[in-house]
Amino acid sequence: MNHFKKERNKFIILMLMPATILLVGLTLFPFIVSFILSFTDYSLLRPGQTKFIFLDNYIELMKTDEFWIALRVTVVFTVLAVFVQVVLGVVIATLLHNENTNISFLRTMYLLPLAITPIAATFTFRLMFNPSLGVLNYFMKLLGFEPQAWLASPSTALFSLILVDTWQWTPFILLICLGGLASLPNEPFEAAKVDGASSWQIFIKITVPMLYPFIGLALLFRSIDAFKTFDIIYVLTSGGPGILTRTLNLYAFKHGIEFLSMGYAGSIAIVMLIITIVVAQIFLRKNKLLTPKETLKQ
Amino acid sequence: MKKKYISNLPPSRKLNLTRRHFVKATSALVGAGLLSSYGLPIYAASNVDEMMKMYKQANIDWESQKGSSIVLSGLEHPWMSSIEPLLPHFTKLTGIDVQIQKQSESEYVAEVPVKLGAGNPTPDVYMVWSYGQAANAGWLESLDQHFDNPNLFDKNWYDLNDIFSSAKSFPIWNDGESYVMSITAEAQTMFANQNMLDAVGAGIPTTFDELLSTGKKLKSGDVAGVAMRSKADGSAGTWPCGGFVFSNGGVVIQDGKCMLDSPEAIEAVQYYGSILNEAGPLGVGNYHWYECLNDYMQEAVAIGLDSSNFATDIENPEKSNAAGHTTYGAMVSGPGKQAKPNMWHWMAGINSKSQQKAAAFLFLTWANSKPTCLMSSALGLATTRTSAWESDGFKSAFGSQAATAALTNLQNADGKIMKDCWFHPQSGEILTPFGIAINEVVTGTKTAEKAMKEATQKINKAIGA
Amino acid sequence: MKTFLRRIVLYIFALWSFFPLYWLLNTSLKTSKDALARPPTFIFKPILKNYIDVIKNNEVWGYFLDSLIVALGTTFFGLLIGIPAAYVLARFKFKGSADFGFWILSTRMTPPIAMLIPFFIMYLKLGILDTHIGLIIAHVGLNLSIIVWLMRGFYEEIPIEIEEASYVDGSSFFQTFYKIAVPLSLPGISAVGIITFLFSWNEFLFALVLGDSVVRTSPVGLYGFVGYQKIYWGQLSASASLLLIPVLFFVFLFQKPLIKGLTLGSFK
Repeated sequence: MNHFKKERNKFIILMLMPATILLVGLTLFPFIVSFILSFTDYSLLRPGQTKFIFLDNYIELMKTDEFWIALRVTVVFTVLAVFVQVVLGVVIATLLHNENTNISFLRTMYLLPLAITPIAATFTFRLMFNPSLGVLNYFMKLLGFEPQAWLASPSTALFSLILVDTWQWTPFILLICLGGLASLPNEPFEAAKVDGASSWQIFIKITVPMLYPFIGLALLFRSIDAFKTFDIIYVLTSGGPGILTRTLNLYAFKHGIEFLSMGYAGSIAIVMLIITIVVAQIFLRKNKLLTPKETLKQ
Repeated sequence: MKKKYISNLPPSRKLNLTRRHFVKATSALVGAGLLSSYGLPIYAASNVDEMMKMYKQANIDWESQKGSSIVLSGLEHPWMSSIEPLLPHFTKLTGIDVQIQKQSESEYVAEVPVKLGAGNPTPDVYMVWSYGQAANAGWLESLDQHFDNPNLFDKNWYDLNDIFSSAKSFPIWNDGESYVMSITAEAQTMFANQNMLDAVGAGIPTTFDELLSTGKKLKSGDVAGVAMRSKADGSAGTWPCGGFVFSNGGVVIQDGKCMLDSPEAIEAVQYYGSILNEAGPLGVGNYHWYECLNDYMQEAVAIGLDSSNFATDIENPEKSNAAGHTTYGAMVSGPGKQAKPNMWHWMAGINSKSQQKAAAFLFLTWANSKPTCLMSSALGLATTRTSAWESDGFKSAFGSQAATAALTNLQNADGKIMKDCWFHPQSGEILTPFGIAINEVVTGTKTAEKAMKEATQKINKAIGA
Repeated sequence: MKTFLRRIVLYIFALWSFFPLYWLLNTSLKTSKDALARPPTFIFKPILKNYIDVIKNNEVWGYFLDSLIVALGTTFFGLLIGIPAAYVLARFKFKGSADFGFWILSTRMTPPIAMLIPFFIMYLKLGILDTHIGLIIAHVGLNLSIIVWLMRGFYEEIPIEIEEASYVDGSSFFQTFYKIAVPLSLPGISAVGIITFLFSWNEFLFALVLGDSVVRTSPVGLYGFVGYQKIYWGQLSASASLLLIPVLFFVFLFQKPLIKGLTLGSFK
């Protein structure tokens, strides 16, 4: 028994060691620096005049409309985009899993949005969304609809961005779900089939619950990343019209890199981190994903 | 980019030409589309000996930094693309090796502050995207001591009289020192599709009102009258719309205070918004220079008012349907006001942490010297030297009429009011709210008065006025 | 009928995924004037000039090689470091194990912008700026959370009895891990490997700041085709299209276990 425990502890430590060393080495110093800076007025514009200002950056942030608007945009964008992506990803993965021909062709097609260099894809979207030269309005006219301003209109800009994000990231969910489906045991499905369950019943009663840990993880990571979305918004709308599509990360970039106010940008980053931690903790605890289902025991 | 310049170039293309021939020949090649904006180093470098004589006339010890190596960093920009093929001359002249790092503008403005902010010794020479920021942050070396160094600089040979006065005054920072050299010149210039103007019997508009009415006349189901930048970003509408504010008697910043809530400024932005709303294309609220230029070149829009540099693309028949029938004109002005187009000089400076400052200074002097400007202007670069603007090479590369219009607009521009805003240490915090406000007016989410008043409040708070 | 409907949905989704790429390919075969023609052209005389330009461009080859080295290195080291941690977190409960797992996850949550300068200074002092290994380390760090958490999910799906039996048979923890658990998790490794590869291949911000003239990956390099006041559409679209080939090849190789798992696990 004692021997088992000793062996077990040695095994755990050795297996976790490389990951721990790497992550501590890589993230600890930058994190501490930006955490401390968030309590100062550090700006690259005023070298050598940095003062400690305690919570002023945070107070300022809470008092600024722009922050709250950016937070709302970020949350709406994340929730809508991830919701659509998860639904699409799970459905397509299940359909593909049931398919028996042409699988590799289709799977390759589906992975293309993840594989293409993002900058090329984003600029292609900018070209396609162009109201006067773009192919999207060309189709709209062809089908007898009014051409749209897409990214320029307050009513369609966020929707257009979610469309691009969905195009790009649904394959991520799809891939994880495909991996999950491939690793699930066969028996429950076959048993249900023998019992005469319909495809829909199988999907709802068996596929989704069994796949749930994977869906949960895919949703978690997609949400974490979507919360930090930057590139597509930066290139496609720069946060416009007005600031209606300006996310928190864009807001932080403006202050940190364009205005060089690293202290203030740091406080935005810390607030984003806190929000993500709280939501992730709630999500993981509710879904019991923090601790292993079964453990190796003697 | 991984490029090291070596002075041994393929001998096959060595032509023995005088300078005049050289410039002419180069411009002919440009006209024939043989010299792309990426340039053909083979040709430009083929005349090394001839050009070398011109540099040797200077009383400068070119070889004093022989054997050193400097890193030049800049964005994908006509200046970089026309300097790049000329670098072998510099290396041959000085024995200094130049490594080039070229990036898109977005990458550049994201990466260089990180590098400089961390105190990195490279790049040695870099294009300055925001003079106020870089000077305030201490990222630039003062050039004055180097100008006074007789080994590094020859005033007579360099010929300051040849350089545009704004290009000379721009680099002088508020402490009296110069930290940069101006390297290019751009002015807000109108470009109008003459065929379309003729079709509706309109002339070149000269006032805001005429631009509005002509634009409305030109607008049909298929073609828009006027397109100008108005994306919600500090780099988009601010520059052209700033020209509208100036040309209506307004300013952005005066005595360190934002003046965008003045009646003149509000009226100018109002005009900018109405022109784009009533005569602009659908979705113009998301237009940056890229959309404006493309729409114009595809004849989807009849008139634009943007950088004079657009001429090189507009007149390129491989890209543009508007080539050959575009008229370049002066900036429009507000009711009873004087036109003051916006302008811009790109600038380059030396990293204050550089370990190769003398070599870096030699490079700047070389790059801005008469012979170099003559060669780079033959590739279509709008330099800061009168002699280069007047050269045949430049006129044929840039278009004679476009060059005249650009020069007129440059002369009409008021560099000071432009500097007060764009060279402010916190220019980003001024331009971003301004750009967003322009976008709000163009997309119709706010009235000009409301948008400008709110922006002014925000800006004044940020810059402590 | 059901099969028919299913296929309709699958093909519509394929069309949706493919259309922007079709447009990109389309652009790459056009002259710069045609690329932006109005109305957009679907039928045109294709030109190969853009591809020839790109293939002759040594810099694009450089981007490709740098991306390949970094992405392969990241995938290899990421899996090597991440899989053991994932396995332990899936199979053992120890003091602070939940917090440890969450800490790993949290490394993905911080927006990188605030950390860029300290990160750069750290790399500067260590002298690993602009090196492949430096960028690989950064990319492993960025993606480790996703590798560990996803792999952990896959390990939890493997029936624990097999490992218990192996241990009872006298195998050590290590033997059980690499002889039993790793082979059984191949579909997972394949999916996570593809994801890691693609994430590293397309990562932009760190590649931009930590790389320079020696290491310049394709997302950073291709951005250079977006010039000042002009976009080099032909070269941008042609190089992006060409860069798809190695990625698809890699994905194809790595998805074999996925397919195998698929045929084993599917019900007809």
